[in-house]
Amino acid sequence: MGALDGKVACVTGGTRGIGRAAAEAFLREGAQVVVNGRSEDKGAQALAEMGAGDDAHFIAADVKSSDGCEAVVNGTVERYGKIDILFANAGGASNHAPIVDLTDEAMQDSLEWNFWHTFWTMRASLKYMIPQGSGRIIAMSSVEGKVGKPAISIYVAAKHAINGLVKSCAQEVGSLGITVNAVCPGAIETDIMMAEGPLAAEAMGITYEQLLEQFASESAIKRLNAVEDVAEVCVLLASEAGGGISGSLISIDGGTAPY
Amino acid sequence: MGKLDGRVACITGGTRSIGRGMAEAFLREGAQVVVNGRDEEKGQRALNEMGAGEDAAFFAGDASSQDTVEGLVDFAIEHFGQLDICCLNSGGVQMTAPVFQMSDEEWALEIDWNLNHVFWGMRRALQHMVPRETGRILVTSSVEGKLGKPGIPGYAATKHAVNGLVKAAAHEVGTLGITVNSILPGLIETDIVRATGPDSAVAMGLDNYDALLDVFAQEAAIKRLNTVEEVAAVAVHLASDAARNMTGCMFPVDGGTMPY
Repeated sequence: MGALDGKVACVTGGTRGIGRAAAEAFLREGAQVVVNGRSEDKGAQALAEMGAGDDAHFIAADVKSSDGCEAVVNGTVERYGKIDILFANAGGASNHAPIVDLTDEAMQDSLEWNFWHTFWTMRASLKYMIPQGSGRIIAMSSVEGKVGKPAISIYVAAKHAINGLVKSCAQEVGSLGITVNAVCPGAIETDIMMAEGPLAAEAMGITYEQLLEQFASESAIKRLNAVEDVAEVCVLLASEAGGGISGSLISIDGGTAPY
Repeated sequence: MGKLDGRVACITGGTRSIGRGMAEAFLREGAQVVVNGRDEEKGQRALNEMGAGEDAAFFAGDASSQDTVEGLVDFAIEHFGQLDICCLNSGGVQMTAPVFQMSDEEWALEIDWNLNHVFWGMRRALQHMVPRETGRILVTSSVEGKLGKPGIPGYAATKHAVNGLVKAAAHEVGTLGITVNSILPGLIETDIVRATGPDSAVAMGLDNYDALLDVFAQEAAIKRLNTVEEVAAVAVHLASDAARNMTGCMFPVDGGTMPY
């Protein structure tokens, strides 16, 4: 018997990295899972690799738009009849530069990818979860949702904003059987990190290796985190046993964040 | 296959309430467990009720005493051959009072029970875990480890203190395969709360015990108290391999009460 038997989950940015690990963990615990990504090819590949047959489904959409987010959530309900778990996971750091050099477009892009996507999928999911009187919303935040680093201010700001959104939403729906939490991982060397990390490092005036070393040395464990670390906390938050945890910003960062 | 197969755990204050919930969850996941409590009779009853046979043992003693806490750690190692998970869970308040009426005796008791007990147990367990380069220390803190309610100043102060201790220890042993975390539950209607709650209500200027429970429930987003099982599930996670990279964390199980 799995901790998520009979549940339906939706994971944005679910074809790789943390989202993919969460999708696999949800499947292992008995849930049916919709994964989202932009590329049909990558989606098909992810489904083939996960090997979950009819229990997994891919929806192609760009979550930097309200329409894309609603298509993912509504598509989940169309495919499996309901949505119990939303993991608003998509997002990342991009357009790295000190504030003095940042463009409005860079800020807008980061907010759409990280913050607006969380808001749009959260709002769309609540329209189903509130009438059914149950649900789990998990937002992907970051250690950068609690602290700040130079040259990634737009990411830091968006993740802080997500944490505020999570706390307010938790208060709004707390008595309706719906919990809302954020997971705040430390650095993980995902595909996005490998693509964006060197650019972020350059903007900080260091090498990619030095950036990874900086993240590791800030933690108590002196190493980076892993996607599985986050996936297992998502399972806990999504399970019945997680029903008493809401409005929380769970650090999965090897002891990096100060609170 | 359990998440804690082959592990040995000890739990201060483990015969009832949160500690008992942890013990039962650990046993379900394959661990061997030593529970501690003051009363030999209650200890034997807990063992009988848990029905885990030789996988569970009881160690009698008051967790506010250094001899008891260190003795529990030593006993677990001697009895089961090792110690992988040390849960420093016992704690509470004997006499609620605002600061200006707080007696030195009550203050000293709360320091010993809530803070020193954690230090003594953590130090003894780490002396065993550091050479083995593996281990889990779990400390039961509280929402009062981040907040502060009137009438329980010693409890709030000591629960803040254990959070600091957890963070410092996590950094000391973070590269040695040992994690150190605290769990911060909201109010749970345990035996201790039932016993001390009526006095706490008075100290906090509330009408009665029910009003006290309602204050805690209304502060939470979920508008209810928490449960022992919710804390036990988090304890299992933090004790498992899956949480090997979570340390120095103050894990809230408070239904959305704390601001951070």
